[in-house]
Amino acid sequence: MTSLPVYISGVGLLCSLGSNPTEVEHALRQNRSGIRPLTLFDLLQSKPLPVGQVDAVAQVESLEETPPLPRTHRLAKIAADQALEGKTAPPEAIVLGTTTGGILTTEQLLRNDERRSAEYRYHGLHSVSSYIAEEVHCSGPALTVSTACSSGVVALAMGLAMLRSGRFQNVLVGGVDSLSRLTYFGFHSLQLVDRDGCKPLDVNRQGMAVAEGAGMLLLTTDRAAASHGELLGVGLSCDAYHAAAPHPEGQGAFMAMRNALHDARLTPEDVGYINLHGTGTPDNDLAECKAVNRLFPVKHPPLSSIKGATGHSLAAAGAIEAVISSIAITNNLLPANTGLRQLDPVLGVEPLRKPQKAAVEVVLANSFGFGGNNGSVLLGKPRRNVGEPTRQVRSGLQVHGYSYLSGAGDTAATMESLHSSFSVAGRAASDAIAKNLPLRLIRRLKRLPRMTLALAAGAREHAGIDSLKLNSVYMGTGWGALSETHDFLTRLNDSAEQFPSPTDFIGSVHNAPAGQVATMLAATGANITTSGGDYSFEQALLTAEMMVDGCDEQDSAALLLGADEGHDRFSSIFDPSITGQTQLADGGAAFCINRETEGSRCSLAIPFYRKSTTPNVIHMLYDALACFNDEKNDGENKVVAVMAGMPGAMRPQAKQQLEQFLQISGLKVPVIDYRKITGEFASASAVAVALAISFLESGRLPGTVAGGDEFVMGPGKNTLLVLGLGQYITAMELCRP
Amino acid sequence: MSTLIEELKVKLISILNLTDVQPEDFDEHAQLVGGELGIDSIDVLEMVVMVEKDYGITINNQEVGQKVFSSLANLAEYINDNSPHVSS
Repeated sequence: MTSLPVYISGVGLLCSLGSNPTEVEHALRQNRSGIRPLTLFDLLQSKPLPVGQVDAVAQVESLEETPPLPRTHRLAKIAADQALEGKTAPPEAIVLGTTTGGILTTEQLLRNDERRSAEYRYHGLHSVSSYIAEEVHCSGPALTVSTACSSGVVALAMGLAMLRSGRFQNVLVGGVDSLSRLTYFGFHSLQLVDRDGCKPLDVNRQGMAVAEGAGMLLLTTDRAAASHGELLGVGLSCDAYHAAAPHPEGQGAFMAMRNALHDARLTPEDVGYINLHGTGTPDNDLAECKAVNRLFPVKHPPLSSIKGATGHSLAAAGAIEAVISSIAITNNLLPANTGLRQLDPVLGVEPLRKPQKAAVEVVLANSFGFGGNNGSVLLGKPRRNVGEPTRQVRSGLQVHGYSYLSGAGDTAATMESLHSSFSVAGRAASDAIAKNLPLRLIRRLKRLPRMTLALAAGAREHAGIDSLKLNSVYMGTGWGALSETHDFLTRLNDSAEQFPSPTDFIGSVHNAPAGQVATMLAATGANITTSGGDYSFEQALLTAEMMVDGCDEQDSAALLLGADEGHDRFSSIFDPSITGQTQLADGGAAFCINRETEGSRCSLAIPFYRKSTTPNVIHMLYDALACFNDEKNDGENKVVAVMAGMPGAMRPQAKQQLEQFLQISGLKVPVIDYRKITGEFASASAVAVALAISFLESGRLPGTVAGGDEFVMGPGKNTLLVLGLGQYITAMELCRP
Repeated sequence: MSTLIEELKVKLISILNLTDVQPEDFDEHAQLVGGELGIDSIDVLEMVVMVEKDYGITINNQEVGQKVFSSLANLAEYINDNSPHVSS
């Protein structure tokens, strides 16, 4: 089967080497490094370490913007404007990778003991994508992916899948991160920073230079617009080995490169240049070179790491290096391995010592990150079309097992509680959450990863451990590991920047919980964490719907998760739906999913995801729902109930949207205001979906939920809708076979 | 020395969150990193921070680190020999 070809019609880039693609290309041709001692923020005592800092990032001028935009958002805007220059139509969707969001601003606000939540408006990772969507007038999904240093490549993978599905014609993808105290001191605490600048593949390499920047690519299915090459394929994998260290043999790195070649229908011999991840840490470079030598046992193509020139810009790196790969293809440039003095002979590779002017047809670029997350991307000159492409329409996933967690406790405790009380909101005791997990497994883990592991174990058990092999993990979390982030920043401040915690730093990345799940389950496939505020779980489901392969072996499956922790200090200042009066609540749900209908408990799809300010959005929502638009066209007979997600901060708007939907659809069924049941937290919709499946399975709604007597579902009633309302309108459709 | 060893047992149990280990069960001669307690490179970094913070000794050399953290007894000896805060 030939998939729809995807082309690159615009690029944007800024990093320590320059503020646009031309400047960066010029610096690379001169083999220049942009790594200098940090000046962006003051340090309390130590001498500034070398970093890859972007010069002069102007504050975006806007009369209405209060509070000021964080640096990450500004970097993203500059690169996005470059990628979209001269384009008349806005992108239909956006996928951005980021790990820092507004943290640099947040760090300062916390130091000032700022308590007004409005000041933290741009803290969340999702606020970067939402802001860019607003600026470029994109009304479709604006997804945020956070898989640490592989985020940029994972964003490319998601964009590629969206375009191949045929549901989108152009998608803006990219990665962005600003320097921050969190990443600066975090990598330093791991002893992964080279005080002497960064020298990948060098025998005396001692680590990376933490950096910042942004890379953006406008992807399209329109061949006429392929001015920057073709995105040939992407391969993802997970080491499922360790939270921070790479697999010592580079197993995951090898699988990512192999998967990318398979995806692009290419062989290793087709690759003309490899842009290495090459961070300059002893372990990464060794593992990556082992993987390269395994893939190219006779002779590897020309290769280099540019991180001795740019530094390591974390979530931006994969996107920046994809743009540089595109420059390599269109402008005949093979960059040098800047910074290298004495090659490490143990590595068994021969990198480019100087930049070369040479034509290259296909470039392979690697990005690896914490959580054992690996991504490889292949770019090339546009290929001649071979065969008639097929749209890979992949709607609807099958749920084979699930588990959930609420303030009342696990699945059984929550269900029991719901029979006597409407609300299960609150925070389950930490010991109760982790009661079935081995102590040694969780000793370093705080609340969110413990919740996540418990959910994963529960869903696997519910599905039947022996019958399914869980390969990939898709997780949505609105705010990530708040305890680890809080504790890292607190200890950093309390020790006057002397003794930050390496454990908390590793745990603070949004994808740390999903990485732990992968290790526990030995899930070596794609491992993707999305962070979309109140729509985080919806973003994970949308990603899974695009990416879970229908051609996988029958017994393989993916794990879909949504979870958030309620944090005493952070939840109320970050999440606008949580005020001082709101009861602190958290929870989540996990689902074993694949495409196999046999033995399925329920099908799960997300047919609609759009900004609520889109004209006629509720009519569009109605038109997108399968239950109202299949052959029988009898949705009102099938739908049992509507579960409506109305985040506290957007309640008045959400209520209006709901009323309009009920009017248009003519539905007269119980409407469940599910945040009243679960409490306010970003991924509450994951719990709503799990509750909905258990209602469908039992054939009844408890009286507490139905708002009166127990509601028994009549014959033919097999569909439940879970709507997300507020800033975005989303619809998840659940159907019992 | 024995006081320092007992002190370190309590500290390691606390910073590495070894909730299922009692100080009296902690064998100071047993292999520390990669041994039965499941202590790995991240724990080593936490111990490096602790040694610097509490005893004023910086360990930023992998070879030294490997020797020092091979057992709790070796760690105690290293601290004893190098710390300005400990008198033996």
